[in-house]
Amino acid sequence: MLSRIAESLFWIGRYVERADDTARLLQTHLRVLVEDTTTAEVDACRNLLALMSIDHVEDPTHEDLLRVLGYDRSEPSSIVAAWSAARDNARRAREVIPMDLWESINTTWHQLPSGRFRSTRAHTFLDWARERSALFSGIARNTMVRDDGWQFLLLGRSLEQVDMTSRMVASAALTTGGTQWPSVLRGCGGHDAFLRTYRGFHADQEAAEFLILDARFPRSLMHGLTASIHCLSMVVNANPSASQAGEAMRDLGRLRAHLEYSRMDELLANLEHEMTAVQDTCARVTQTVSTSFFAAEDPRAWITEGTR
Amino acid sequence: MADVFSNYHPGVAFDEMVDAAGTIRPSYKAVHTSLQAATADELRGIAESLASSYTQAGVTFDVGGVERPFPLDLVPRVIAAAEWETIESGVAQRVRALEAFLADVYSDGRVIADGVIPRQLISSSTHYHRAVWGAQPANGVRVHVAGVDLIRTPEGDVRVLEDNVRVPSGVSYVMTNRSAMVNALPDAFSNQRIRSVGGYSQRLLTALRKAAPPGVDDPTVVVLTPGVYNSAYFEHSLLARTMGVELVEGRDLECRRGRVFMRTTAGLRRVDVIYRRIDDEFIDPVHFRSDSMLGVPGLVNAVRCGGVALANAIGNGVADDKLVYTYVPDLIRYYLHAEPIIANIDTWRLEEPEALEEVLDRLHELVVKPVDGSGGKGIVIGPRASLSELEALRRRVIQDPRGWIAQPLVQLSTVPTLIDDKLAPRHVDLRPFAVNNGEDIWVLPGGLTRVALPEGELVVNSSQGGGSKDTWVLSPPLNRPITITDPEPEPEPEPAVPLQDVQDQPPPRPRPTAVPLGVSRPLGSRPQAVRVMSDRGSRREQQEQQQQSGGLPC
Repeated sequence: MLSRIAESLFWIGRYVERADDTARLLQTHLRVLVEDTTTAEVDACRNLLALMSIDHVEDPTHEDLLRVLGYDRSEPSSIVAAWSAARDNARRAREVIPMDLWESINTTWHQLPSGRFRSTRAHTFLDWARERSALFSGIARNTMVRDDGWQFLLLGRSLEQVDMTSRMVASAALTTGGTQWPSVLRGCGGHDAFLRTYRGFHADQEAAEFLILDARFPRSLMHGLTASIHCLSMVVNANPSASQAGEAMRDLGRLRAHLEYSRMDELLANLEHEMTAVQDTCARVTQTVSTSFFAAEDPRAWITEGTR
Repeated sequence: MADVFSNYHPGVAFDEMVDAAGTIRPSYKAVHTSLQAATADELRGIAESLASSYTQAGVTFDVGGVERPFPLDLVPRVIAAAEWETIESGVAQRVRALEAFLADVYSDGRVIADGVIPRQLISSSTHYHRAVWGAQPANGVRVHVAGVDLIRTPEGDVRVLEDNVRVPSGVSYVMTNRSAMVNALPDAFSNQRIRSVGGYSQRLLTALRKAAPPGVDDPTVVVLTPGVYNSAYFEHSLLARTMGVELVEGRDLECRRGRVFMRTTAGLRRVDVIYRRIDDEFIDPVHFRSDSMLGVPGLVNAVRCGGVALANAIGNGVADDKLVYTYVPDLIRYYLHAEPIIANIDTWRLEEPEALEEVLDRLHELVVKPVDGSGGKGIVIGPRASLSELEALRRRVIQDPRGWIAQPLVQLSTVPTLIDDKLAPRHVDLRPFAVNNGEDIWVLPGGLTRVALPEGELVVNSSQGGGSKDTWVLSPPLNRPITITDPEPEPEPEPAVPLQDVQDQPPPRPRPTAVPLGVSRPLGSRPQAVRVMSDRGSRREQQEQQQQSGGLPC
């Protein structure tokens, strides 16, 4: 498979997942903000933006939140920007992705809101954004050949999911955010599953355990890590010449083992730091995968034959 | 009932549906019947569904960086079986002659030695590339794909407007137009047999595989695109997808020791045949523009030493130079010992003193084109030009007569087109596509029909408000498996419009006596149509510039 195409598929997976998770995160926060009377709006918003590694907004409000994470095309973290980037990548890989999948991405892009909208419409937009991601995943699962391209798409998606879930989990550790475990669980779409798993009983530790360790829940860190490792091993086996990819495998494996075999109370005590480490690992793995599989063209210029 | 044709009044141009007496031509009967049964609302609904299906599927072209759906009109352009056979053989004949011409000028130059074409004309062509002199393609094919632009004059003759043997584009719209139309106008299809356009990709792939360097059993074919910002990117990806081959950009390829490789996740992989959609000027920075960021350094060397096959070959531009165009009928006689089946538009070569004199006298009524212009740069339409423009043109023509040709202003034929819920005549041209696999030349039934949408518009170019139509070639009646439930006697195959000099060719099958349909009329004062290429000079990106001379924005 062409390196350029593999790279596009990897990033399509990431961006679509990012749009989905950002929509969930925003939705949870908007809900919590309405109910929470103890936290100032500005603090809650600042915390959320800090979680997403955004620090250029002064005294953020509700509106800013929607703009920066929602509809502003010029903000790299917004849902609209994520879908635009996904569509750009899909356009480059158009001849290899199934027609249906391309059309679903293209339609989403055409329907993206072109300007700002009021917060009353926010939920409609966020629901729509989540549905489009779900549609994408469904079509991809049903139509894509399970070749390298599929593995790269899934790898991108899994890494992004690990990254975003770690941010959601970290949000529970915020002292002033007003976000608590139930809302984090809702944000991950796992509240009911959690209640069923723990038979209605819930405490912070169990909630953290569920989101971090329960590999049966598809949005947990463990599930995402396992999926990433699986995809990576598939592409490494198919392309043995990608020598550095083993490093990425080790990185992911170490992280998984660390989470799996650490004591939960230690993880909880140091939650913010642990989750930052997860995000760092994701960034490192992305870097390694890029250099070993998407080998960009050598930057050097050509020279006339015979002078070499 | 006021039907959608109530205000349909063809002008002085030849109308493809209605003849001069107001009778519907046989080939259009079925289409006319199904359209007449529709109300304006229904037509609007069909038009909207066509547009939205194109937007959803991303069948778009870029204008200044904005993607727009390619306008597809719902009334097809219908070509009768007998007439198509003539066009088909005429196009194939032309490609055969141009192929022989290219092989000749890139080797011995017999055609020059025999005095058919002046040497100076070849050597002064900007698209004659000495870098590929003597390079022999493995199966002898240089023109793997050709697009020959045809128009119909008011008299009803089909003529060649120009040849495109470098990177002709537009074939993807032929395929997408058909699939969109089958959904939108099912009854018109059920009433008659229309020849399929689906086989193009397989034909092209076969031709490309046959072009592979010798000794390669299972050649790897790729499509080379300038990139997503090219206005024809949709076409590149459609062709790659339907042929099942990789679509690569220049940076995905690498030349090593006279061979070409692509970068894959599993390392470098050999490439044998490249269907390139990048112009010569950009394809190899070693030999051509050194600032090209789209090309592959070393590609020309790889081609010369037979490590890779390029389709179409480098240097083909010399064959579609507009001054060489005037010699094509002579080339057909010289190489094929036959008369041209489809004639040229009358053209004045301004380097001939008598011609120059006549043209200078009539500048205000002629179309003057630069010979090496691509993308329509520098074309002056006499009747539309101001006095100062004509004066400037006069000076430039006198200064460099080799650089210009002149043609009469030709009114293109018209086809009903949906404009504001009404059907109105609009001017069209036709670009059939030919694929040469080295053994025979196959012409895709139909081709791209482009239509100028604004009333009286002289330009069929999409960036100038042009659209396209599905082109239906009717199956010959002999092959028709079912009889049309038509109270009238079986319609005669459309009395073929006599193409120029067709009598000199043995007719491919018995046909009714040729009867001219178009009544010769003096050119009126109505706006007259001529195909004009748009000025694309302001485009910044190199990617956007890759275009065959037709100025097709697709």
